[in-house]
Parts: sequence; C-alpha cells; structure tokens
Amino acid sequence: MSEVRALIVDDSTVMRKIVERALRQAGLDSLVVYEAGSGTEGLEVLKTKQVDLILSDINMPLMDGLEFLRQVRAQNLASGVPVVMITTESSEEHVKQAILSGAQGYIRKPFTAEQVKERVLPLIHAV
Amino acid sequence: MLLNGVRKAAIATVREGGAKEMERVMTLSLRANMNLVSDPKNLDESVEEVFQMMLGVNCKRFEGPAKIEPESVTAVVGFGGLLSGACVFKSGSSAAMKIAAHMTGMEFEEIDETVQDGIGEICNMLAGVWKGKVPGLAANCGLSIPTVITGRDYNLHVQAPEFKLNHSYRFDDASFEVTIICDGIQ
Repeated sequence: MSEVRALIVDDSTVMRKIVERALRQAGLDSLVVYEAGSGTEGLEVLKTKQVDLILSDINMPLMDGLEFLRQVRAQNLASGVPVVMITTESSEEHVKQAILSGAQGYIRKPFTAEQVKERVLPLIHAV
Repeated sequence: MLLNGVRKAAIATVREGGAKEMERVMTLSLRANMNLVSDPKNLDESVEEVFQMMLGVNCKRFEGPAKIEPESVTAVVGFGGLLSGACVFKSGSSAAMKIAAHMTGMEFEEIDETVQDGIGEICNMLAGVWKGKVPGLAANCGLSIPTVITGRDYNLHVQAPEFKLNHSYRFDDASFEVTIICDGIQ
C-alpha cells in the first residue's frame, strides 16, 4: 500500500501511540503520523498538512472530538478525508452524533488491532 | 433472578418497541433498578475486558486489598448525569509502571507523565465500559476527563455514597483496586 498520512487526535499521548501501533499492525507500513492533543491542535495541523485519514477521540479538553469534526467540515480542511472516532462513549446516541458530525467510522475503546484494521482499511481503500 | 415491575415492563417493551424504548424505560427507573446498576459482575467483566483488549493479559478478581507500596497512583473519572459518582483506579507504583509498560511497549523506572497518562486512560476505559453495561446509562451519563494523583499517604473520601463497589484484581504479580462510587442517582 502506498504512503498513508494519518492525523491522530487524542489528549492521551499513550492512546495516540497505541492507535499508531494498531495502524501499523493493520498493514499500514508506510505510515506518516501527525499527532494532536486536542481538537484545536488538530485543526492547526490540518491547516498545514495534507492527510488521508483522521482518527479522533471524542472526550477531550478545550475542544472535543465532535466539535473538532464539525470545524473540519465547516472550514473545508480535509475534504473527502475519512474520519474515524475512537472513544469510550459507545451508546447509539453517541454514534449517531458522530455520524451526523461527519464521521465515517466509529471504534469503541478498548479496542484490538484487528478491530482497527476492519474499520479503517476499507475507508482508506474507498478514497 | 427477581424481576421487579419496572424491569418486567422494560423487557416487555423491548420485545414490542426495540432497544431504544427499553433504554427510555430503564432511564426512568434507574433508581428502581439499583441492583442492576450495582451488580458487581459488571465491574469484574469491565476490568477483564479492558485488560485483555488493551494489555493482552488475563486479569482476575481476588479477595483482600491490593499490594501496598509506599508510593501509589490513583486515577479518577467522574460520572455526571443520570448517575453521579466516580470510577477510581488505585495501584502501587510498580503495578502502575507494569500496566503502562504493557500499554506502550516501553520500560519505566519512575511514575512519569506517560505512566500517569496510561493509568488515566485505563480508568477512562473502565468507566466507559462499566456504564455501557448498565441499560439506560451509556447515553445518559457523561464521563469527565481523567484526574491522576500520585504520592504517599493520601486517601480519597466520599461522604455517604448511594452504593460503592470496591474490588481487587491481579495479573502476574501486579495488583490494583477499582472502585465505583455512586453518590447520586435519578
């Protein structure tokens, strides 16, 4: 697979590393990762970098993942780029909110590398 | 298992109206279903699930307190909404470093920011998985950002909670405690 540039947005540095490791285990060897610790930081990254995939937590300080996603869409920062929300919130209502905000995928924490592979790879192939 | 009237109604409703309606009925009756909310099995299953999926270890509950160490790490994630309270994770420093090592693949010799961050995330996932196991709670109870405390000789005290679950778990030679405190329920 050709190079994939992913933006991982999570206020936990450990979770960002775990998500990156899961993406590499999913077969994305040529992976370039940009990290952001909040939605605000994520928006700044998208103003200067082009990405092929965005993975974002929801429950974050300063700007949560849903507002980040709404801003990404409103500011046309990553047009056509698939967004996957990774979060501990797993109710039907939270999934609905994420989809309405423009997410294409949803992964519940805790997750396995296999789950990341199943949910993320089809989105990259579809672009 | 005893079923009270509200739970019977919820089950009857789900047969007729689906999971959403069940959630609505359960929402109205969380207090009436306190035995379901405080079921200790939910906490045990949550701990096993989080540790199996994120660390790849089998974690089992045991009777008695977790290993006492001079320095300890405590993470707290608050619940707000239909249920208010907190999920509290507490371990000695060596267990905390071992958990962080499993999560990151790194080795640790002290409780640094990465260890604190990892323990905060474990507590966050435990809180999220636990509330997801209680019908009606997942969508109606928010989680706070984790707070992590490290140090010696400190205690967390909650006045007269509605209920409290406090269980000890271990994997390999590492042990820790997880507490669910509910100080308000609607």
